Amino acid sequence: MPITTTRRRLLAGSAAALALPAFARAQGAVKPRLTAISQWSAGSDGAAITALGKKFEEKGGIWQHSPVPGFTTDMMNKLRAQIIAGDPPACSQLKGPEIAAWSKIAPTVDLDAVVAAAGYEKVVAPDLAKLHKPAGKWIALPLQIYSTNMLFLSKRGMDKAKADKVPVTWADFNDLAEKMKSAGMSYPIANGGTRADDGQKFEASLAGISPTAYRAACMNLDKKALEGPEMKAAFAQTRKISDWCDPNVGVQPYANNLKRFVDGDMGMLIMGGWAQGVLKNAGFKFDDYVITPGPSDNGKPVFLLNADAFIFWQRKEADLQAGQMLMAQLVMDPAIQTMYSQITGSIPVRTDVDLSGEGWSDGQRTTAAALKNAMGNNQAVLSLAHNMAQENGLTAAMIDVITEYVKNKTIKPDEAVSRLADAVEGAR
Amino acid sequence: MTDIVSTAARPGRPATSEMVRRLPEFLMIWVPLLLSAAHLISFSIWTIWISFTPSTLVPVTGWVGLRNYNSVLASRNWQIAFDNLLLFGTAFVLLSLTTGLLLAILLDQRIRGENVLRTIFLYPLAVSFVVTGTVWSWLLNPGIGIEKLAHDLGWTSFHFDWLVNRDMAIWTIVIAAIWQSSGFAMALFLAGLRSVDSDIIKAAQIDGAGPVRTYWRVILPTLWPITVTVIVVQLQFAISAFDLVRALTNGGPGIATQLPALVVYDLMFQRSQLGRGAAAAVLMLLILLAVLLPYAAWRYVRQRRAAHA
Repeated sequence: MPITTTRRRLLAGSAAALALPAFARAQGAVKPRLTAISQWSAGSDGAAITALGKKFEEKGGIWQHSPVPGFTTDMMNKLRAQIIAGDPPACSQLKGPEIAAWSKIAPTVDLDAVVAAAGYEKVVAPDLAKLHKPAGKWIALPLQIYSTNMLFLSKRGMDKAKADKVPVTWADFNDLAEKMKSAGMSYPIANGGTRADDGQKFEASLAGISPTAYRAACMNLDKKALEGPEMKAAFAQTRKISDWCDPNVGVQPYANNLKRFVDGDMGMLIMGGWAQGVLKNAGFKFDDYVITPGPSDNGKPVFLLNADAFIFWQRKEADLQAGQMLMAQLVMDPAIQTMYSQITGSIPVRTDVDLSGEGWSDGQRTTAAALKNAMGNNQAVLSLAHNMAQENGLTAAMIDVITEYVKNKTIKPDEAVSRLADAVEGAR
Repeated sequence: MTDIVSTAARPGRPATSEMVRRLPEFLMIWVPLLLSAAHLISFSIWTIWISFTPSTLVPVTGWVGLRNYNSVLASRNWQIAFDNLLLFGTAFVLLSLTTGLLLAILLDQRIRGENVLRTIFLYPLAVSFVVTGTVWSWLLNPGIGIEKLAHDLGWTSFHFDWLVNRDMAIWTIVIAAIWQSSGFAMALFLAGLRSVDSDIIKAAQIDGAGPVRTYWRVILPTLWPITVTVIVVQLQFAISAFDLVRALTNGGPGIATQLPALVVYDLMFQRSQLGRGAAAAVLMLLILLAVLLPYAAWRYVRQRRAAHA
């Protein structure tokens, strides 16, 4: 269904584009137009960007979005081809440190004026803002935020284990998993086996044990921190988590386990807020599960930031330039961020959006509160597994070590620590 | 070839009209050949050049010597991929060869329904590797495939978890690859078996040789040129294997089933390290040449011998 809609929209878009030049000449003014590429084609992501496109059209613009389904890297290959051909889209999805890396290969739009006019800088987390202004000027705008280490608890699973206390620290978490196991769940944890999933198991462990160590090791690649005692403890915790996962999951995504999770055959899931959108799409209800911040040994929530963003590429055409300004205003608009997050299950980038109203879930409110709390305690860090902490090459080298460690139980935590440090050294 | 020579040699025809008559032949053979050769060679040279530059997101000029090669060769991904290639290449070629030969010999017994059986065995070749990989990934998944079937049938101690077992996962690729391509080996062998002169076989029978001895001493020795062809074709498939692995295990569990082509793709398109990806691609090319050059030399020597005889 989403595909047909997109096709029809594309057709309508191109028809409009064909009709445009004559129309514009007759009017004597430019109609804002936006060419955009992203990986969001289906499901809640596709629905959200389609809704954004509608808003763009309502403001009198022409919306030309070409989704590239698959991983972010597939979208990047299309972007690379377009940049090399000298025809970049007016706007594309891009996130994290990749914004800085890509901004070196093609000129981007200086958004400082429009950002200042909207007063956006004051309401964005500082670490996040930095990623979007790599050379001091805003060239990209964050759109929505997820935390990659939310803990999902199955209501039926909790009942089965006769547990009512939500775990706060890793010790609580481990106790609860044991309890669930002795209550008859063979595999209390519902995580999958993809590379990103394995990365999340590790980053949630390390950040929960010590956000300071996480910042030093995964964000700053500090050699001493990479070989520190927290790393070993994090690998040990990761092993525990993977021992509680179904070994038959192989390299499949967590989504395959969701039914077992809701039914109470599995009890817990460490996942980003997007799982909420997936659960909703699969027909499960909000009262089937509880969402709480991932385990943190100091008791205060740790927030592993993952944020989607749009980067704006320089174009000479007046209509595209007008489209870029309109898009920038829309992306920063609290009403638009509300609409977007309510579709995808994320939380808005703006910290001043009120989530108490209807349309927001408890999970989103918990997530937003966790972000505020974590920012206050300097415990909001950038996700490694979702390419926020490092560029793709480095991330992939580190995830190689982590995923091999998760799958190969003969590797000792000590060994994993030195392998990870070596991998960082080799990829630099 | 002989046909063309004989027409050209026919007397009494003006040379120009002969040229015009043969123009379509030249166009049809030489234009595509030159185009694809130029395509192949220019991109190979381009890749070799990129492998010596510091290119990352996009190709850039510059010279870093062997740095990309050193870092690829030192990476765990490449080492695992290379070990896997040795194991997968050997196992796959030997097993598909023996399976294909066995099927061909069995089909050669003038049995009823030969055409149907031959089609069935050849059919997997018509299926794309992505489909093969996906279907086998379901069959071999312990949670939903063969293991579950055995459990449901009552054999609860049955254990077959190769797909998720990092030491055995590479063998699942061997299984799927053999399923896919032993039919190809069978077809070539069958053609070879059918082309053996029936007089020789009858002579062997008159001399009192049984069927096993006839195959072993008389028929199979005539098949060895076909065997070499099959080995070379299968080896170059093994070296460039990509889609099957990507659909079946995607290099997992962890990075246990990495193969060189996956490493190249990963470096170029997932990690945005064009220079290193190009270096890995050149290393793959070298591995391929290590197989193809001896084959070419062998063919050259054979042709010369045939010409002398």
